[in-house]
Amino acid sequence: MTALELPGAERKPPIDWAGYVFVAFFTIPFLAFNVAPLIFGAGLAFTKWGIFGKPQWIGLQNFSDMLHDEWVGIAFKNTALYGLIIVPGVVVFGLACALYVHQRWPLAGLARTLFFSPNVVSGTVIGLVWTWLLDTQYGLVNHYLGLLGISAIPWLTSPRWALFGVSIASVWWDLGLAFVLFLAALQDLPKELYEAADVDGANRWQRLRLVILPQLRPVISMVATLQMISSLRIFTQVYVMADGGPAGSTTSVVFYMYQTGIQRQLFGYASAVAMSLFVLILVMTFIMRRFVRER
Amino acid sequence: MAGNLHRDINRKLRPFGLKIGDIPIWLGGLFISLLWAAPFVWMVSTSLKPAGEVMTVNIEWIPRHITFENYRRIFAEFPVLQWGINSLVVAVVGTGLGVLFGAMAGYALARLRFPGREALFALFIASLMIPADISVVPLLLAMIKIHWINSYRALIAPTIGNVFSVYIFRQFFLKFPADLEDAAKMDGAGTFLIFWRIAFPLARAPMIATTVILFTLNWNSFLWPLLVTFDDSMKTLPVGIAAFTPELGTHTQLEGFALGMAGVTILSLPCLLLFFALQRYFIQGIASGAIRG
Repeated sequence: MTALELPGAERKPPIDWAGYVFVAFFTIPFLAFNVAPLIFGAGLAFTKWGIFGKPQWIGLQNFSDMLHDEWVGIAFKNTALYGLIIVPGVVVFGLACALYVHQRWPLAGLARTLFFSPNVVSGTVIGLVWTWLLDTQYGLVNHYLGLLGISAIPWLTSPRWALFGVSIASVWWDLGLAFVLFLAALQDLPKELYEAADVDGANRWQRLRLVILPQLRPVISMVATLQMISSLRIFTQVYVMADGGPAGSTTSVVFYMYQTGIQRQLFGYASAVAMSLFVLILVMTFIMRRFVRER
Repeated sequence: MAGNLHRDINRKLRPFGLKIGDIPIWLGGLFISLLWAAPFVWMVSTSLKPAGEVMTVNIEWIPRHITFENYRRIFAEFPVLQWGINSLVVAVVGTGLGVLFGAMAGYALARLRFPGREALFALFIASLMIPADISVVPLLLAMIKIHWINSYRALIAPTIGNVFSVYIFRQFFLKFPADLEDAAKMDGAGTFLIFWRIAFPLARAPMIATTVILFTLNWNSFLWPLLVTFDDSMKTLPVGIAAFTPELGTHTQLEGFALGMAGVTILSLPCLLLFFALQRYFIQGIASGAIRG
């Protein structure tokens, strides 16, 4: 205890050495199982390594191979398409649902529960349920489209439609998170904002466009960024619903990484594919931030 | 006259926050929200039908005959019970450790002073930018090297370092009143005792929120369990049941999705029930930790 009375002790608070013990329990598994594999993977990307032998340093060979691999082009193109369908779908529809529930009309609580519920189930559930719903012959979706006079769409069996079919299921799965974040943001808006708009005699649409949306810009950009990151790493739905097919039309980058790394056991090459996706995600995040700040 | 009637109806609707012009939007929104849950209804409905009545041209929302045969069959013909136990062990242990270690780290980052604290927090936040999926291949190779594959520890270990839990607890402990700690310090309690006896038990809200969210995440985890389980008996439910799609040209195509829907009903039930019971914590947890990993 006397140590505390040394001159200077009041200026500098003592170090809580226990802090290191407290963070160690979390930090050790975090470094070992989350950070280290990433660094290991970044190194592997510059090697050639199959199931036998040792990794061989080959510099940028994997990356130049990727440029000539037509499947890499397909996987990145498909992944971009997933992003272009799912991100706007989730943002627009999630915002609409949040605006609706925020009205606090009767049964709004029920609507909130229902809109969020798909978000808590596994990708396996999403995949199997939608494979069944989108079944060409017996699926519910084609049945009701048929009643509207639309002939059966080969949702998951035609290369033209499959990516879109997987995207529909993904919007159903992902909407909940965006919805909840929008709802929280709406509830945080000051009440005076609505009242001022009412006094000015703004109608519902004007109030939304001129008063509410500008206030929501930060949360919209955050949700769009989160959703973009999650769409760029799409895997489970692709695996369960279409196994990357038909004819590779639903193959995403993570799915291709799985195929090269696990099925073909090209560990170095798969790591190079993964690292490219990582760089793409960083770049896209950076661009979206910049884009939002400058406007 | 019409104006009077209009005003009358509006007055009656006022306690509900509705105006007459809102009614179509109100009903339309309700319809869409019901539609949003329809796939779940269809899932359960299909799972209760006899195999021969699943694939019909007419849509039957309510099964003509209700049967639990599909459930009996998936338990009898596949190791669904074993997969369920595996999933439960992985999700419960992974979540327990994730919550406890996350709370300790969050407490230290918020309340304890030590060099490197800010840098560590910055590292945690930066790691949120990195999707876990991109390092599964090197992680698998490392697990093969240390002979961990096909084991609970391989399934659990990577789930512990989820920064979400640290973040939520840090937020909470930043606002934690210091006088409680000071009083305990006066009584001579050490840091660990203060955390264990005072801070952690009082962190009920972040504890429930991180527990339900991490449990859901771990229960539903797919890519990593798919890679690291080589034996059928070590699979988790999401990985095992993912194979329940009817294959073209086999007998399973005729039965269609009966078994699959029974499987995914079992798979989704724990998380749906947890969500219905503790909805508030799910939604608050996600909203306050918007940076979910």
